[in-house]
Amino acid sequence: MVLLAKKKKAQIDPDILALTKIVGSKSILHHKEDLLSYDCDGFTIHKAMPKAVIFPKNTDEVAAAVKYCANHAIPFLARGAGTGLSGGAIPLNNEVIISLVKMKNLLSVDYENRKAVVQPGFVNLKLTNSISHKGYYYAPDPSSQYVCTIGGNVAENAGGAHCLKYGVTTNHILGLEVVLPDGEVIEISPNGILDTPGYDILGILTGSEGTLGIVTKITVRILKNPEAKKTVLAYFDRVEDGSHAVSDIISAGIIPAALEMMDQTAIEGVEAGAFPVGHPPDIEALLLIEVDGIAEGIAEQIEQILSVCENHHVRDVKVARDEKERDRWWANRKTGFGAMGAISPDYLVQDGVIPRSKLPEVLKEIRNISKEYSLRIANIFHAGDGNLHPLILFDSRIEGETEKALLAGTACLKACADAGGSITGEHGVGIEKKEEMRFIFSDEELEAQTAIRDVFNPHNLLNQGKLFPTPSRCMDIKKVVNETSLTKST
Amino acid sequence: MDEILLEGSLTELADRFGNITSNILYPESEKEVAMMVKEANKVGKKLAIVSGGTKLGYGGIKPEYDFTLSLKKLTGIVEHTPGDMTVTVKPGTTMQTLQQYLKQYNQMVPLDPAYASASTIGGVVSANESGPKRLKYGAARDHVIGMRIVYPDGKIIRTGGKVVKNVAGYDMNKLFIGAMGTLGVITEITLKLRPLPKYSSIVTLSVQEDALHDLKAFIIQLQDSTIEPVSLELVNPMLSKNLFHKEEYHLIIALEDVKKAVLFQEAWIDENKPTKAMMNVLKHSEDFWTTFNELTPNSQNDFHDTTSGVMKVGTTNMGVFPLLQECDRLNLESNVQILAHAGAGHGLSTIIFSGLPENVVQSIRHIQTFSEESGGYGIVKHLPFELRKHLNTWGQQKDSFYLMKGIKQKIDPKNTLNEKRFIGGI
Amino acid sequence: MSLKEKELMKNSPPCSSNSLSNYLWEDHPDEEKWADCVHCGMCLESCPTYLETGQEQHSPRGRVHLIKSVAEGKLEVNEQFMDPVFQCLDCRACTTACPADVDVGGLIEEARGQVRQAMPLKGVKRAVSSFFLKGIFPHQNRLQAAGGLLKFYQKSGLQKAVRSTGLLRIMPDHLVEMEAIMPEIHQSTHQKYKNVEIIPAKGSSKAQVAMLKGCIMDVMFSDINQSTINVLTHNGNDVVLPKKQTCCGALHIHAGDRETGKKLAKQNIEAFQDAEKVVVNAAGCGCALKEYPELFRHDPEWKAKAEAFSKKVEDISKYLYDTGYEKPQSAINKRITYHDACHLAHGQGVRHEPRQLLKDIPGVDYVEQPNADTCCGSAGIYNITNPEMASAVLERKMENVPKDVEMISMGNPGCMLQMAIGVQKYGRGGRIVHTVQLLDWAYQADAKKGVNDGVISEKEESTDRS
Repeated sequence: MVLLAKKKKAQIDPDILALTKIVGSKSILHHKEDLLSYDCDGFTIHKAMPKAVIFPKNTDEVAAAVKYCANHAIPFLARGAGTGLSGGAIPLNNEVIISLVKMKNLLSVDYENRKAVVQPGFVNLKLTNSISHKGYYYAPDPSSQYVCTIGGNVAENAGGAHCLKYGVTTNHILGLEVVLPDGEVIEISPNGILDTPGYDILGILTGSEGTLGIVTKITVRILKNPEAKKTVLAYFDRVEDGSHAVSDIISAGIIPAALEMMDQTAIEGVEAGAFPVGHPPDIEALLLIEVDGIAEGIAEQIEQILSVCENHHVRDVKVARDEKERDRWWANRKTGFGAMGAISPDYLVQDGVIPRSKLPEVLKEIRNISKEYSLRIANIFHAGDGNLHPLILFDSRIEGETEKALLAGTACLKACADAGGSITGEHGVGIEKKEEMRFIFSDEELEAQTAIRDVFNPHNLLNQGKLFPTPSRCMDIKKVVNETSLTKST
Repeated sequence: MDEILLEGSLTELADRFGNITSNILYPESEKEVAMMVKEANKVGKKLAIVSGGTKLGYGGIKPEYDFTLSLKKLTGIVEHTPGDMTVTVKPGTTMQTLQQYLKQYNQMVPLDPAYASASTIGGVVSANESGPKRLKYGAARDHVIGMRIVYPDGKIIRTGGKVVKNVAGYDMNKLFIGAMGTLGVITEITLKLRPLPKYSSIVTLSVQEDALHDLKAFIIQLQDSTIEPVSLELVNPMLSKNLFHKEEYHLIIALEDVKKAVLFQEAWIDENKPTKAMMNVLKHSEDFWTTFNELTPNSQNDFHDTTSGVMKVGTTNMGVFPLLQECDRLNLESNVQILAHAGAGHGLSTIIFSGLPENVVQSIRHIQTFSEESGGYGIVKHLPFELRKHLNTWGQQKDSFYLMKGIKQKIDPKNTLNEKRFIGGI
Repeated sequence: MSLKEKELMKNSPPCSSNSLSNYLWEDHPDEEKWADCVHCGMCLESCPTYLETGQEQHSPRGRVHLIKSVAEGKLEVNEQFMDPVFQCLDCRACTTACPADVDVGGLIEEARGQVRQAMPLKGVKRAVSSFFLKGIFPHQNRLQAAGGLLKFYQKSGLQKAVRSTGLLRIMPDHLVEMEAIMPEIHQSTHQKYKNVEIIPAKGSSKAQVAMLKGCIMDVMFSDINQSTINVLTHNGNDVVLPKKQTCCGALHIHAGDRETGKKLAKQNIEAFQDAEKVVVNAAGCGCALKEYPELFRHDPEWKAKAEAFSKKVEDISKYLYDTGYEKPQSAINKRITYHDACHLAHGQGVRHEPRQLLKDIPGVDYVEQPNADTCCGSAGIYNITNPEMASAVLERKMENVPKDVEMISMGNPGCMLQMAIGVQKYGRGGRIVHTVQLLDWAYQADAKKGVNDGVISEKEESTDRS
């Protein structure tokens, strides 16, 4: 920052000058060295350099910057913490990145009406931390909640471990202030009142991966902490037993707050990571099950869960003794992706969803894919809602492995789509799964979606090239792979 | 519905409520829907879409359509895998049929709109209908995970999917939920299910108006506690007279959980209730909700001489208190009878007016203004066609309206489907 | 890079043209370290400089990304690279947050080494840096002399004079702040125990430990060293202060001067050769000593020695906790909060022990502060080299310190100075103390009351000024 001022000001282009005027010289980056850190987000296989990064401090600055870009046909996109896993914030077209991390305030909390208003750069977990003294929390809890922003959550319609019972981001967004791609600012149910007459603009904006508008203010629902929580950890010798236990728990009429599964390779990873729990290395699967609600009712559910596990030959099953133990189990689970770094230099995480009942057969198919591509695949996932996260482990330094990993990822998604599922449950399409959209949508259905984009974003300057497959190209995944791999070859 | 229609009262129905014509088409498959819609669109004919026919008095200022497209014959469960807790159903299926079917698997669609016996899932989704239990379970936008839609040009578009968690592409489901059939014809709906509660009960607390403040304080206390109410429905004295034979404010607290937990919560309420409140526990909660949900007049049962009107009002959660008090002031001051119930946990209220036509219109207008001035909205859900013309039934448009117009223009440029049915004449 | 290239790099001289790398000197950042980073971003919110700037290049993963980019030939070792690498506080909070245990701290230090060789400091910066790092810290006598000057400055009334004459107004802000909180200088342990081989345990001896005096610690906070000795001997430890010990080298390594760092490390390893346990009361020093092996990763002989040495190193709080200590009976009736020194919590994983120590003192009303393990901005000499960022970080820290505490306890001299600035600057109460001092004071109070007969109270050396 201090040094920034000293950098040479030679031949700065007029766009940079104009944007500097809008946000101030301390809130813009445009030197190559400074921009390099913005060439990717949590998806690192594809990289591209932005034209500049700006850090607006309020809605007016966002609107002014957007207006400038719109008037000068400069592509632009919004970025939060940059933890997205599908490349939604990667500046494919040399975009101006509008980073919202400086708009990071909690604007108000209204306990009576159970809502809070935050700026987009406000970190997810901070909301819960800010209201927990009153016993309230914000439900969507993506694993990156320690760092990810609520603005980013809205863009991606983020999920999380506890979405099985409480729903994903879209179920908790009550109102938005949005800067549209032409720089106009609109407010949708800013006071959080439900069912505002008209089409559900709120619903269509949430999860639009930053292609329809830039959210500058968010009204969210806040919930009261359940009276009691119990967490169960169950070890299975066979993956099939674990999957069947999942189905039986749900069929018993229990909706756990979370129902997570990890397979053997995943367990190896988390145990090598920073938050090991001491899971036995020789089990094929573990389940992390959490139920919450009125304390009086929980014991009964726990008993039922234990007996379901017993019925499926569980090797060992235990209930967390205290909050500390529960936190340890969750830290181990929530840092699971990052922990793969400890057993593999690179990984590619997929995000397919399948009907719960197809769990055993799809897991089997993933094992076959692993064999076929001779790459290890770890599975850490939200078993309760059938949201798989195959983590394909590879080493980009080995020639051809990145390409192989991408193909294996695509194969996993194909398996999910073929089982009647979807290619993404919470990570979004971004640039990563653009082509795979064709696994689940016809050309006409894709056109129906891009038609909506055209209403909001007619010149397609906002986050261009994301979410939808390139229309001119037929479904030639290999071609895509070749393209993406070019950026990763050193 | 067609029984009524065949008996020749169709003209009467059309005259009274609009949104229907005597030229009715009864497609029996999605393919037929697509064919009919495509053809109409091609030749510039206007279609009114009808399913259960309970919402003919809901929105719409167009005197006549060329055809009515009835979804009456598109009924039945398409797919249900109990282990996945999802169901795929055709739009003409009534809520009651659907719930009864699911009951045998100990499952339910967690929606409790008015008139389960006549309302169809297609209509409920199109009008985004919900009931008191929305507090715990949410609305159609929270449960619908996939649909098949016939677009005005005859294309069949799938939105969402069949899995409970899905962020592939735009969340297109949201566009058609609550769109009043102005964007496409829904031919299939996939919903997330919930297990039937193992035990349920209803606790009512009744207070005189002077203790309403205590009741509000109690609701806040309850929300701050760990009690998990399924509904916090506040009923005004006039409606309470019908329901509970007692002209006082009533708070209906529904509880659903395992028995122990429900009993624990009942005890908590008993211990913490306002001193001036009378508590009552209703044993047969299901019967109560059936009665409750059939209170609201709709175009299938409203042929009385007095004029009935129904409003849906949205406020902040606590905004329901001043709203109900305003309704009661009107009860005293105007010649209109106003029955009202309001969700103190979700801010949605249903207000039923009856009286002379001009008085009903005046009262509706009054409540609409009142809601809008306090930051909310008021829309008319049910009112005879002639009277609707005197009102802006959808209330004021917001600054995002041009986007809505853009969406309609993109999908249905020739206004083939339910023209002028929706907000701002969309 | 491909495996082939990696092989080539291993076998070729440092300046090999076969590598794409723009690191041209030996001891460059270690590829294995960044290979663990999957760019997940979990480190972001733990990083004080990211929280302050919101900019990726000032975040741990951003820095790793840049360090990797230099190796990939995408970036050169230049000023733009230097800025993010030197803005790092070296607080290691990212190491705690990282799910894959990426050694960001190690990478940063290695990168700094490269920067310093590519762009040696010039002019005033160089003069100031080498005055402190090369001229003073490694030389006990000079440091003592400087301490003597400080003492003279304080005792002579000159300090009073300076403070009252408004001379301060012409000093740069942060130096004014530093002056204001300068601790009172006592006789150093170096001076005091010049001719003492072993300071004997009170009562029967159960172990012998060597103590690192530290450079700043012994001059500016000699009373803490005295407290450490008191507490150790009180609990049955004979204490030795090896004569040849020197500065730990942490500050040199942080500044990119790895050569001096290695020199100092070797001297210390040799000085403590005979010790079984090396007890340290300065978190920064302790952490550096424990990380000596990393310094010698290309020198097998010294690496082995360093590994053996680092195993002996223990923070005073952990040493007491592990070997057992007598719980005092006299009360310190104060509301106290604890600040985690970065190099204790993140660097050495010591969090619970000092807290337990505080809680074992009767009368202590312990309050946990939110984000107790966030850096205070001291970071060695960071508050001198990057005053703006340091003061922003401090402000954030002070927001979290409970308003009503009477004492703020911690285990690192750098933090103590910085937190004292914080208390002064933001008009807060709260006396800054080292955890071990509190224990010492309680023991002394016990002794006064004759609680423990075997213990002789060293009244004349009392560190209790409360």
